[in-house]
Amino acid sequence: MQAEGGSKGFLKRSAAVVASIAVAAFLFAWSGIYNVAASSGHWIIFDWFLRFGMSNSVSLRAQAITAPPLGDPNLVSLGAAHFQIACAFCHGSPVGPVNPVTDKMLPAPPNLATEMRPWTDEELFWIVQNGIKYTGMPGWVALERHDEIWAVVAFLKKLRGLDREAYRSLAFGHTHPPPQPGEPAAADASGGTNVALCARCHGDERGGPQSALVPSLHGQSHVFLSAALRDYASGKRHSGIMQPVAAELEEPDVNRLAAYYAKLRPVERHSASDDVLIAYGRMLATAGDSDSDVPACVSCHDRSALPSYPRLEGQSAVYMANQLRLFKNGHNAMSAGGAIMAPIAQRLDARDIDAVAAYFASISSTTSRTGAP
Amino acid sequence: MIHRPLFLILAVIFLGGCGAHQSVLNPKGPVAAELALLSWLLFAFGTVVLLIVMLASALAMFGPPSIRAILAQHGLVVWGGIAVPIVSLSVLLAYGIWLTRASQTRTGGDAALHIEVAGEQWWWRVGYHKPNGQAIASANEIRIPVGRPVSLDLKTADVIHSFWVPNLAGKVDMVPGRTTHLHLQADQAGIYRGQCAEYCGGPHALMAFGIVAMPATAFDTWLQGQTKSAAPPATDQATRGKSLFLAAGCGACHTVRGTPAGGTIGPDLTHIGSRRFVGIDANATTKENIAAFIRDGQRIKPGNRMPPFRIFPPEDLVAVSAYLAGLR
Repeated sequence: MQAEGGSKGFLKRSAAVVASIAVAAFLFAWSGIYNVAASSGHWIIFDWFLRFGMSNSVSLRAQAITAPPLGDPNLVSLGAAHFQIACAFCHGSPVGPVNPVTDKMLPAPPNLATEMRPWTDEELFWIVQNGIKYTGMPGWVALERHDEIWAVVAFLKKLRGLDREAYRSLAFGHTHPPPQPGEPAAADASGGTNVALCARCHGDERGGPQSALVPSLHGQSHVFLSAALRDYASGKRHSGIMQPVAAELEEPDVNRLAAYYAKLRPVERHSASDDVLIAYGRMLATAGDSDSDVPACVSCHDRSALPSYPRLEGQSAVYMANQLRLFKNGHNAMSAGGAIMAPIAQRLDARDIDAVAAYFASISSTTSRTGAP
Repeated sequence: MIHRPLFLILAVIFLGGCGAHQSVLNPKGPVAAELALLSWLLFAFGTVVLLIVMLASALAMFGPPSIRAILAQHGLVVWGGIAVPIVSLSVLLAYGIWLTRASQTRTGGDAALHIEVAGEQWWWRVGYHKPNGQAIASANEIRIPVGRPVSLDLKTADVIHSFWVPNLAGKVDMVPGRTTHLHLQADQAGIYRGQCAEYCGGPHALMAFGIVAMPATAFDTWLQGQTKSAAPPATDQATRGKSLFLAAGCGACHTVRGTPAGGTIGPDLTHIGSRRFVGIDANATTKENIAAFIRDGQRIKPGNRMPPFRIFPPEDLVAVSAYLAGLR
């Protein structure tokens, strides 16, 4: 009896303490005593405590992630091009410092070229994917596009020690816009051209894309290209890289960009692949597999087909296989074209995907081809 | 006393099964008539047994002592409770097996019309074979001549389906790797609804078809028409629709005989304009319903294997639908 009375008394006292703390916290917030100024910074102990909590939170959550191999130069250059447009404004780069405005944020974003903490690949992935609360670091626009996030991580691992020239060639390809991050290089709406923005990844009249993960747009139809930009802008196609860029474009820009790439000569992007795989891919692409309800790819991707469909001859195999895997996993099924492609991609297995990608990469966009029904 | 509105609701629900449409109790051919007779025999037998048992129970509880003494006899339980059910149920079972086997194994003789029907997720592929060897493909609609035996070869392209047209015949499963058979005959012209009677995934409930029984001469004329390739488009709009149909890749899955479209994944569309419905049997074959199925097929028949084609601007969609509706 007495013990019970004692524990009851303890509970009561605890409840009173908790209630007093809550009331005190409320009064503290209500009074306005606390200074929310970013300019005043954090008390050094708070600062340490917040960073301590943040890094432990990131480490714990990164446990569930396993990094793929990240040495592929295609990943690095794609990540670099995205870093330049989306990250460098706050995080600086070898060609420019952290923007003075964002440098006044609290906490100030670290200049990743010079002061990046020794995060693991998995921790970097988690941060890029999810962002960090109360810091201004946003999460990835298309959370499920892990392939894109890994490209950024692959680049971040290479960032320390990059000199200006090496960074510029990764991030800008063969274009030479002004090197200020966040400046008109990102979106020149002055009537000049948005092509420089696209060309850093997709190439221009001087050549195709730098990264095999990026599609060549040269010679695709105006209808297809403009629909793709609109679908990215509206989020019907998922991409943390393309959505932010496309969302900035107005309709005249969309048409101008589509027209520019539509009139460029197709570029050939052949990659080495084995003949057996290509032969299997040719069979699937030209005849389909009616047992698995897979129609022949060329019925829609032939040059005589509707301009709403992309042309695949000479396209990068790595890019096509990646897109098919995305379709298979239900990405991009919202767009008009994706709604057609996604259910078909779901009927392909991993080898089918590699084979059709290898086949289309192996054929030339300039010579005529037989096999269309 | 049962509550009156409730009684009416229950009556509507249960008596609905006795309607003439798609009903075992409304046989329109000799095979179905035999099955209907079997059904009635089973119902009658069951009713008689039920009445006897109820009467015996009532007497056992409330009857005079003399009758209760008779009911309590050991012999009555052995004879009435064990011997009679074994004998009567065995007789009925043997009759039922003989009847269903007969309906599946009888050939109908040389006069029989042979039709091949394959269940596919979630439609019916129908094939006619002319004596000259020519094959004619259709979908979701089987036309037969009145009064002539029809021999069906039943197959499946994927999972187990079950072919069932209650007004004409019993139910036969379509089993992967096997060909099953069913024989039927319609004695009256008419349209008899059938549907898949074995759950086969997704839009199983929408996997319906119709057997159209027509006078023999009309049937011959119709079949002759079906052997022809698709007629060339009659209007400018339909001509544009045809080139859009081909450019959009429709021919990867659909055949339109006489054009480059030769796909075999989906239904043959050579004469789609002459079929009664498009996609599901609630949608009559009109330009509007064809357009709706091309664009919103996943809403009309959720889960079906055809992707929605929302790539057509409205005027193009109208042209494609006009072309298809004109394929009579």
